[in-house]
Amino acid sequence: MPQQALTEAVFYILLSLQKPLHGYGIIQIVGELSGGRVKLAPGTLYGALNSLVDKGWIDALPENPESRKKEYVITNSGRTVLEEELGRLTELVENGRRLLGGN
Amino acid sequence: MRRVIHKLYWIWQLDKEEDWINEMARHGYSLEHAGRLSFEFEETEPDLYKYRTLFLKGSFGSRENTEYLRFLDEMGIKAVSHINYPGTCCVYTRGLSADHPDGLEIYSDIESRINVLKVSAGYMIFVDVFTLFGALINCMSAFNPYNSIFLLNLITGLGVTALFTASVVATVKLFMQISRLKKEREIHE
Repeated sequence: MPQQALTEAVFYILLSLQKPLHGYGIIQIVGELSGGRVKLAPGTLYGALNSLVDKGWIDALPENPESRKKEYVITNSGRTVLEEELGRLTELVENGRRLLGGN
Repeated sequence: MRRVIHKLYWIWQLDKEEDWINEMARHGYSLEHAGRLSFEFEETEPDLYKYRTLFLKGSFGSRENTEYLRFLDEMGIKAVSHINYPGTCCVYTRGLSADHPDGLEIYSDIESRINVLKVSAGYMIFVDVFTLFGALINCMSAFNPYNSIFLLNLITGLGVTALFTASVVATVKLFMQISRLKKEREIHE
């Protein structure tokens, strides 16, 4: 079965977790990557992070006793999913440009 | 300076209650504690906080809710007060207006919004059944010829019937909101 499309939030969360980040860091990086267009709300981020941990696409790192903030990082299977999604998005963009006559 | 205001909002009036709490905050009264019939405010600078009421599955102290609220706390969103209801809880959260100038948004995706509305709708069905039962018992008792307190039963029955009607209207509105969001989800994520 072909992989289902990722939501924009999940795509950007996976993209931002190339290095360990806590929740607030993810929100900031996603905002920067999308030029401020994608604003992840905390409740949405929390649900997405739990789902991604359950799927094994990201890991929750052991808590730092100083900051008590949980950090997350992408796993190998998460990276594979992200690359497949990039392939799907590339196909969309190429087809769109071909049929609409763009570059 | 603390200010206590006694006010009643029914469970289906959480939106109205939230608007009022935010209005109070705009005028420099920040909510510190919410009870079933009273609200306690602290005098602060105007528009210091934005408030959002969350309706969560399970009790306030459950492991899931504790973890979730701790996560929100890391984001600068504090739970200032809560009320437990059977199987659910209502949590009053706030964030600095400087961080949330357009209002405190907890959910930015359609799926999460649908899930939150489903929790509210599930609880409202419970309220509907409860009030219907109360209305039926009282109205039926009022028409019992051997009942010596028929007038009391009749007044209570009519009162509870009014509550049942308001509760059903609120439930229908919730399901209409869920339906609208589901249609939107078919087009947008």
